[in-house]
Amino acid sequence: MQELVLSQPVSTVRSELVREAARADAQREFEERLAECGPLAYRVARSVLRNTADAEDVAQEALLRAYKGFERLRDRTHFRGWLVRISFRLALDKLRSGKRREQRDTLWSQPAHLPPPLTAEDVVASNQFQNHLERALDGLPEKFRLVLLLSAMEGYTVEEIAAMIGVPLGTVKSRIFLARKKLAEKLRCHANTIKRR
Amino acid sequence: MPCKHYKEALIEAAASGAAPSGELRLHFGECASCREAFAQEQFLFSAIDSDRHAAANAEVPASLVPRVRARLEETIAPRLGWMQPLVLASACVALAFAVFLMARPHHAAPEEVAKQGPVMVPAPTAPKTNANPEKISPSGSQIGALRVNHFQVASSNREVLVPPDEREGLAHLVATLNERRDFAVALRAQRPEKKDGLVTVDPLQISDIEIKPLEGTETETSDGAGETH
Repeated sequence: MQELVLSQPVSTVRSELVREAARADAQREFEERLAECGPLAYRVARSVLRNTADAEDVAQEALLRAYKGFERLRDRTHFRGWLVRISFRLALDKLRSGKRREQRDTLWSQPAHLPPPLTAEDVVASNQFQNHLERALDGLPEKFRLVLLLSAMEGYTVEEIAAMIGVPLGTVKSRIFLARKKLAEKLRCHANTIKRR
Repeated sequence: MPCKHYKEALIEAAASGAAPSGELRLHFGECASCREAFAQEQFLFSAIDSDRHAAANAEVPASLVPRVRARLEETIAPRLGWMQPLVLASACVALAFAVFLMARPHHAAPEEVAKQGPVMVPAPTAPKTNANPEKISPSGSQIGALRVNHFQVASSNREVLVPPDEREGLAHLVATLNERRDFAVALRAQRPEKKDGLVTVDPLQISDIEIKPLEGTETETSDGAGETH
C-alpha cells in the first residue's frame, strides 16, 4: 500500500510526460506534412465549391480537424486519403448549406424574378456550360465525384488515387469511366453551349 | 444523327478516351454522321475534362499554409498553457511526497520485521566499576545467542545483533542486569538439562451431565414402537 501511494504520482507524471512527448512528435510530423498536404485539401475544396475564399476556409478547417485527430490516426500512410475525405465532406456541407441559405434568401428577402447579385468571381465564372457542369456534378453520387475530382488533379496517378482512398484500382477506373459517362449524358443537350465558348 | 447500331459504341469509345475499334473505324469511313457524332462526343468529354482540370488545379493561395500554422499555434497554445501548470503541480506534489517519505521516521510493520535480518547495534558497555564484567555481560546464555560471530565490526566495543523491535528491551535488560546482580547470576546459571521423553497427558475429567427437561415444553416418551404420546 505504501509503495502504491509512493509510486502513483510519479507514474502519473511520467505517463503525462510520455504523452506530451508523443504529442510533440505528432505535431512535428504534422507540420512536415502540412506543406505537402495543404494544397491537396485546398484543391479538393476548390473543386467542389469553385470559390477561392470558401475553399481556403474549408481547407483550413479540414487541416485543423486533421491535426486534432492526427494522434489517433493509427496508420499515418493513410493521412492523405483521410485529409481528402475530411476536406471533401466539409466542402460538400458548405456547398449544401450555402445553397440552402441562398434558397432561403431568395424566398424571403428577394423578389423571385430577380437573380441573386453576382460577385466579381461569379461574373468571371459565369459560363453557361460551367453552370450546367456544376449542376451535373452535384447530381453525381459522392463516391463517383470524389474519384473524378482526384483524377483531374495533376500529380496523382490512378494507382495513387486507389491507394489514397483505399479502393481497388479497377474500382477507381470504372468509377471514373461511369462518372464521365453520366456527366456526358447530362450535358449532351447543352453541347451547343460549348461551341459558343 | 448517328446510326442506332453504333451509337453506344461510339459513346463508349469517346468516354474511354481510347482509339475506336476496327469495326467502328471502318464504319466511320463509310458513315459521315457517325464520324461527326464521335467528334462531338470527343469534344464534349474534352470540355468536361478541361473544366474539371481547371477547377482541380487552381492555384493555391500563398496565405493558406501560414494561416493554418497560425491557427494551429492558437489551438496548441491554450492546450499547453493548461497542461504546463498541471504537470508542474503534479511534479511538485510527487517531490514533496518523496521528501516526506524520506524524512519521516520509519516504523516497520511486524511482518516486515519478521522478514528483516537482525540489525547490528552497539552493545551497552559494562560499567568499569564492575569487578567481574562477564557476570553481567550480554554475552550470557540468553543474550549471547544473538551474537553473530562472522560479522566483522570495526568498532572496538562489543556489539550484538538485535532485531530493531528488541533494541529497547535489550537496553532495559542490560540496565536491569547492571542493577541486580542476583538476576544476572540466575540468568547465567545452567539450566538443568531435560532429556526428551514422551509427553503424557492426563485424561480429561468430565463431570456427569445432568439432563433437565425444558420448562413449558411437553415431554415426549417413546414406547419403542414408533408412537409418541
